[in-house]
Amino acid sequence: MSNVKDLIGLEFEPYSMAVEKGKIKELALALGDDNPIYFDLEAAKKEGYEGIPMPPTFLQVIDLWGGMGSVEKVEKLGLNLVRVLHGQQAYEYLGDIVAGDVLSVTSKVVEAETKTASSGAMDIIVTENQYRNQRDELVALTRNTLLHRH
Amino acid sequence: MFYEDVEEGFEFPVLKKEPITRVQLVRFAGASGDFHPLHLVEEVAEKAGMKILAHGMLIMGMLSQGVTSWVSRKNIKKLQVRFSKMTFPGEEIQIVGKVLEKKADNIVVAEVLAKNSEGEVKVAGIFEATLPSRN
Repeated sequence: MSNVKDLIGLEFEPYSMAVEKGKIKELALALGDDNPIYFDLEAAKKEGYEGIPMPPTFLQVIDLWGGMGSVEKVEKLGLNLVRVLHGQQAYEYLGDIVAGDVLSVTSKVVEAETKTASSGAMDIIVTENQYRNQRDELVALTRNTLLHRH
Repeated sequence: MFYEDVEEGFEFPVLKKEPITRVQLVRFAGASGDFHPLHLVEEVAEKAGMKILAHGMLIMGMLSQGVTSWVSRKNIKKLQVRFSKMTFPGEEIQIVGKVLEKKADNIVVAEVLAKNSEGEVKVAGIFEATLPSRN
């Protein structure tokens, strides 16, 4: 890549995916999270949900199964896969997201710069995603920071 | 847990997780869709001069489980983390947290950390949640 700053403003292809009960259960099991709200509709209703809610980090499932895979995204950014680390991740939840919802996602690079530290130079690339449900309500925002060691 | 019950500095109960296994990494790869070979393929990790390491998002998922064991899932408004150290199969993660600030409108800002059994911080985060009032 000539200049990492050229990535600022890069928009990924929008994508859309249904929030599936089976994928929620699969993620909860992989995490070892036995919170009944992810498995049992009655337990979810008791916590005030209309359906089975997604675990807080579930939006990654929407991104990777609904959009571009992590490997493809890194390639699109022109980075070397084994030199990429996940630096930071931020979630803001603006509304409930439950099984049966369909999320439409827009994703773009909002920050990109090269920093030099004692350990060497690295690129810092921040992508911001917006998640809208089937009623066009903005229900979540995320910021993903990738570090690319030179 | 109610808003009135917590003060700044209040420490939440520790959540202790089972040791991370290679099978769990395979399972998490399938669940999340992150098939980065550094988490799955020994030869790729070795070639990069590393060992098989856990997905950062697996540890963040565990950290979120800690948060939702303290406050209702529905009340979490913001969660942000920094991945500080790599985590390897065999490590036992514990999730600790404490209240940093009580704000108006029943909002609580708290720190949450995922550490291994030696106390090394793997993932460090902040969350913001609303807590219900007693009355």
